[in-house]
Amino acid sequence: MKQYLRYSIVLLLVVVLLLFLLMIVKENTQDYTVIIFFASIIILVLYAFLKLRKVLHHEKTEFESYKLAVFVPVGALSSYFLNHEAGLGPVFGAAIVGLLASFIPNLNKKSAYLQGLPTAIYCGAFIGMSHLKIADGYAFVLTASFFTGIFLMVSKSVLQGVGGKLGALAFLGVVVTYFLLMLIR
Amino acid sequence: MEKLILILTGICGAMATYYVNTRLKQGPVRASALLTLPIAAFCYFFPEVLSPYLTKNIPVVFIGSTFIGMVSAQKMSTYTGIAIAGLVFSAIYLNTSRFSDGYGGSLGTSACISILVMLCIPYFKSKRNLTVGLLQLRRMAVKGWRRNKSR
Repeated sequence: MKQYLRYSIVLLLVVVLLLFLLMIVKENTQDYTVIIFFASIIILVLYAFLKLRKVLHHEKTEFESYKLAVFVPVGALSSYFLNHEAGLGPVFGAAIVGLLASFIPNLNKKSAYLQGLPTAIYCGAFIGMSHLKIADGYAFVLTASFFTGIFLMVSKSVLQGVGGKLGALAFLGVVVTYFLLMLIR
Repeated sequence: MEKLILILTGICGAMATYYVNTRLKQGPVRASALLTLPIAAFCYFFPEVLSPYLTKNIPVVFIGSTFIGMVSAQKMSTYTGIAIAGLVFSAIYLNTSRFSDGYGGSLGTSACISILVMLCIPYFKSKRNLTVGLLQLRRMAVKGWRRNKSR
């Protein structure tokens, strides 16, 4: 079961990354340089997922504790508040949340739990960076945080140590929430 | 010119974060947030110093490139690789689609793609691979030069 969940998150990540790149190609069909550049990137990303399996998604299936995932909404809500309510903008808001979160492990350096909190909170902060036309309220942010929290738990052994993993998970959470709400509405 | 500044911002952001993360051992989250904060604060409090385009885009490119620098040293350990990943990130950002505009995490996704691309090129993953690559290149050049000389 755990293994299937790991495969699912890898598949979801591949689909979202490819969709992200294909949309760029679709909008630049008149520029051949851009098409060639992004076609090469798509091939390399597929190669990375297929051939670098041992490097990117470790053979051992591990899950993150739900106790860490519950802090994703904390980062998301505070970043969203600073971004839209306080008017600081997405980058300033996320940076403040990330910096404050990074000092949490200093409270008790021996605690493994506290060591993992900055990652969960910073991951949530990326959800709060969403534009108002996408994330139109706190309900959206909470739903996206819920999905991102699950993705964070399931993907512990996937893309370990790869920069941008947290952002990609947040993006996945926001996209899933957006499309679910679009279907419901 | 403005695009060149954004590309340089991407490269510098990635390299600086990697330095603070691995060499100064501040951890990925603090390295990214600590470096982004002054850049974002400057553009927020002094919006008239730079052009509106740069004021809007520099903090965004910078925070996105810091996600590249959050990579662990076990995955990538050369500054050349990090710099090229920053370049790839900037190229993705400059051509990013309207589809992903406004979605939180799209910068992280671009950073993740840049890192995955660089991981496919083993010469940039570690210093040892870079040295082996340079040695192979040197051996090939010497072989070609000898062949030409014997003709």
